[in-house]
Amino acid sequence: MRNAARRMVGVLAVVGAGWMGGVAHAGAVFEGAKDEAGAMKVLQLPIRTDGPKSLDPVKGSTTYDNMACAQFYETLMTNSYADPMSFEPLLLAEQPVSEDGGLTWRFKLKDGVYFHDNACFPNGEGREIRTEDVFYSLKRLADDQYELENWWLLKDTIKGFDEYKDEQNKAAEFDYDAPVSGFRKINDKEFEIELKQPVYRFLYILGMFQTSVVPREAVEYYGEDFGFNPVGTGPFILDSWVPKQSLTANVNPNYHPVFYPGRDEWTREDRRNRLHRAAGERVPFVDRIEFTMFPEDQPMWLQFSLGQLGYSQVPEDYFLEAFDKASLELKEEMLEKGVRAQSNRLLDFIFRGFNMEDELLGGYSEEKKALRQAIALAIDLEEINQTFYNGRTIVYDGPIPPGLRGHPEDGRSEAAYRGPNLPLARQKLAQAGYPNGEGLPAIRFYTSQTTLNVEMAEMVKRQLEKINVRFEAIFMDFSSLIEAINKKKAPMFGFAWASDYPDGENNLALFYGPNESPGSNHFNYKRDGFDEMYERILTMGPSEERDAIYEEMRDMVLEDVPYVGSQARQRFYVINPWLINCKPTERYYGWFKYLDVDDSKR
Amino acid sequence: MWNYIIRRTLYNIPVFLAIVLVVMAALRVTDPVSAHLGKNASEEQIRLKTESFGLDDPFYVQYGRFLVQIVTFDFDDVRSWDQDRPVGTMILDSIPPSIAVMGPTLLITATIAICVGLVSAFNRGKAPDKVLMFVAVIGMSISVLVYIILGQYFGAFLPKQESGAWPFEVAVDASAAGGRGFFFHPKNWVAYCMLPVMINVVVALGYDTRFYRAVMVEETTRDYIRTARAKGASRSRVMFVHMLKNALIPIITRIMISLPFVVTGSILIEVFFNIPGMGRTLINAINSKDFPVIQTFTALFAALFIASNILTDVLYALADPRVRLS
Repeated sequence: MRNAARRMVGVLAVVGAGWMGGVAHAGAVFEGAKDEAGAMKVLQLPIRTDGPKSLDPVKGSTTYDNMACAQFYETLMTNSYADPMSFEPLLLAEQPVSEDGGLTWRFKLKDGVYFHDNACFPNGEGREIRTEDVFYSLKRLADDQYELENWWLLKDTIKGFDEYKDEQNKAAEFDYDAPVSGFRKINDKEFEIELKQPVYRFLYILGMFQTSVVPREAVEYYGEDFGFNPVGTGPFILDSWVPKQSLTANVNPNYHPVFYPGRDEWTREDRRNRLHRAAGERVPFVDRIEFTMFPEDQPMWLQFSLGQLGYSQVPEDYFLEAFDKASLELKEEMLEKGVRAQSNRLLDFIFRGFNMEDELLGGYSEEKKALRQAIALAIDLEEINQTFYNGRTIVYDGPIPPGLRGHPEDGRSEAAYRGPNLPLARQKLAQAGYPNGEGLPAIRFYTSQTTLNVEMAEMVKRQLEKINVRFEAIFMDFSSLIEAINKKKAPMFGFAWASDYPDGENNLALFYGPNESPGSNHFNYKRDGFDEMYERILTMGPSEERDAIYEEMRDMVLEDVPYVGSQARQRFYVINPWLINCKPTERYYGWFKYLDVDDSKR
Repeated sequence: MWNYIIRRTLYNIPVFLAIVLVVMAALRVTDPVSAHLGKNASEEQIRLKTESFGLDDPFYVQYGRFLVQIVTFDFDDVRSWDQDRPVGTMILDSIPPSIAVMGPTLLITATIAICVGLVSAFNRGKAPDKVLMFVAVIGMSISVLVYIILGQYFGAFLPKQESGAWPFEVAVDASAAGGRGFFFHPKNWVAYCMLPVMINVVVALGYDTRFYRAVMVEETTRDYIRTARAKGASRSRVMFVHMLKNALIPIITRIMISLPFVVTGSILIEVFFNIPGMGRTLINAINSKDFPVIQTFTALFAALFIASNILTDVLYALADPRVRLS
C-alpha cells in the first residue's frame, strides 16, 4: 500500500515535473515529433519470449533486459546504428583517450544530459549527469546486494576495484563514497579510470547496458523497487510495465541532442533501402513506444501480419510463408503488401565440444588429435544445417563468428578438419590406433533434452557410423548438462556461445587455460603458446598485428580440434511498410530511438 | 455444518503439511540456485543467492518459515528470482485474468453440457443422441492445441484481416496494461477473453457432455422416473426437475473438480492469447526455474484443491439431505 502510494506520488510528481520541466530546461526541451496532423506517433513492437526480468541494469543479463533497459538508460559508449560493429560515444562528448597505451583512460561527459524528471529528485526535476554518477553506477556492480550478476564484466580490470569490492562487502554497510584508486575525478564532467593492465575490451564493456549510468537518488528513493522505476537519461520514460506481458514508454522531453547517422555513414545497400532518409535529424521520432511480449510465435506473427506490429523476427515455422527457401528472398505476396526484409548474422559459435582432459577424447598427442580430427571429418555440418535449419545457418571454421576480425575468408581455413571427408577420417582413425573403428569405445555425447537435439544426435550417430565410430547421446536437462560440463564429466558435449561484444577476443577466451571449467573454457583446453598469445591480445587495439595473432590462435585451435564446428545463426526480420528507418540489429538495443512511423501506411 | 467444515479442515491439515513437505523436498533434489543462474554463475553468485533465500538454513527451518508464510498469506518478502517482485503481488495480479477466462468457461460448459447430457439421455439410441455423441467424441479426439491455433487464426486473425472491424483480438497487446480489473470491463472482456472462453468451452464440452449423459442415462432407469412419468409429469418436468435434482451429486463432483482451475487458469490458452493469468505465470516460472514462485504456487494449488474437496462435501449435504455431515 505504501509502495503504491509512493508510486502514485511519483507519477503525479513526474506529470507535474514534466510540465514544470518544460520551463526549467527550456533550452534543452525536445518535443518529440508529431506527424503532419499533429497526432501522437506510437510505435508497437514485439519482444519475442516473455521480456525483461528487471529494469535495473545492474540486475540484467538477458537480451530482453537489454532491450528494455536501453530505452531508459544510456552507457558511456554505444554501437553505431549505421554500423553496429563499430563504437561511438553516447554519454561522452568525445572518444575516450589513453596516453599510456590503454592503461589509463580519460573521459569527458557530454554537456546537457539530464536524468528523467522523477520524484526522486528535488522538485521532481532530473539533474545533469556528472562524474560521480558514472563511478556510482560502476560501483553497484561490485555490491553483493545485487548478487554480483554482472561483476564478471569488471572483475580484475580496474585498479583497486576488486579490493574495494571485497572490503565493502565485508563491511557492515556498503560505502559508495569510499574511494577506488583507479577512479580519478578531474571535475564534474571529466574523469580518468586506471586499469590494472591495458585491456582493450574495457571500452566494449562501457557500451554494455549493465554499465548504464543511474542516479544514486533514484536507487535510494525506490530501494528494492528501483527495478520497476527506471530513471535514466534515455530517450524514453517508463509509462507501464506488466512483467511478462507488456511495456510502454513515452518520449523523454528533455532528451539530449542525438542525431540520426549521416548519409555517408550508411552503406550503399542501406541507402538503397532509404535508411539514410532522416540523416542528421534529431531523434527520437516517435512519441510513444509499446512493447508486447510473445512467448508463443503464432500470436506475434498474426499481429505482425495484421500490421499491428512494426517488425517481427521470422519464426522458424513461418519462414516459408515469408521467404523463398532457395533464394532467401521475400515472397511476392509479402512484397505486394510493402513488407521489407532484413537479416542479421548473429555472433554465434555453435559447436560440439570435447573435454581435453578426458581419457579417451582429450589429450594433445598426435594419436589423440587424430581421433578428434577423424570425428570432425566424419561429421557433415552442412547436412545438419540443411536438415534442421533450412540451410540458414552459416557453417564456418574456427571459433570466431562471421563479421569479426579473425574470421577466415569465406568461412574456410586450411587448418580446419571440416567434414565430410570420409577417406581422410578413416585414415586419421587408423593413425589414432583404431583402424576401421576397432577397439574404440562408444563416444559419449552429453546434450540437453530437446526434440531438436534428439534428432540432431541421431543424424550425427548415422554420420559417425560411416567410419564405424559408435556414438551414444546422453540427454539431460540444461542444469544437469552444465553440472556435468563444469565437473569435467562430459567427454563430448553440445553447446553454444554468443559473443558478449564484437571482438574475436571474446571467443578466443573460451580456450584460455585459466578459464577452464567451471569457467568458460569448457573444453579445458590448455596450450602454453595459446595462453601467451591471448594475454598479448588483451592489451591490443584493432590492428593488423592483432589480426595475425587472432588467425594464429584460431588455426592452433583448429589443428588441435577441441570441438567440432562451427555454425552461426542468421536472424531474419520482416518490417511493415509503416515502420521506417528500421535496420534491426542484436548487437545493442539503443536503436529504437531512430525508428519512425508513417501512420498513413498503416 | 460449521463443525463439519472445521473438522474436515483440521483433518486436511496433515495432508497439506505433507504435500508442502514433499514439494519442498522435491524442489531441492537438485540445486535450485545453480539451475536458475545457469552456466556462467560464479560460486560467489550461487552463495549469495542461496543465502538471500535462506536455502543454506536447515531444511526444517525453511519448512517452518514457508508454513508461516502460507498461514499468514504473507508472500511480500518472498521475491521472484526471475521477475524481482514479491510473489504475493504476482499471485494477486494473476488471479483476476484467470478468473475472467475460466469462470465463464466453467459456467457455460456446465450449463450446455448438462442440457446436452439430458437431451441425449432422454433420446438414448435415437438420432439426436447419436449425433450429439458423435460430435462429442470428435471434439474430444482433437488436441487442445489445434483448437487454439485454428481458433486464433479463424476466430480473430482472418475476420480482422478481411473486415478490419472485428470484436476479438488475436492476443492481449501492450494497450491492455490496465490493472487488475482490466479484463472484467465488458469491452475488454469481449476483445481479449471471449474467444479464449469459446475455445475452452468447445474443448471441455466433449468430455463433460459424455460424462453428464452417462449420469443421466443411469438416472433414466430409476424407479422414480417411471413413477413420475406414470403420474403424468411432462417430459421436460421429469428431465429438469426430477432427474436433474437426483443427478446433482455427480454434477457437483464434476463441477467442483474443475473449480480450482478457475483460479489456476489454463496454461495453453493463457500462453497463446497472452493472458497474464496464473497458468502462464506458473509456466513462466517453471521455464525460468523461478524456485520461489514454483514453490509458492504449488502450495497454493494444493490448498485450493483441498478447499474445493471440503466445499464439495458440504454441497453434497446441501443437495441431498440423506448425506449427513457427521
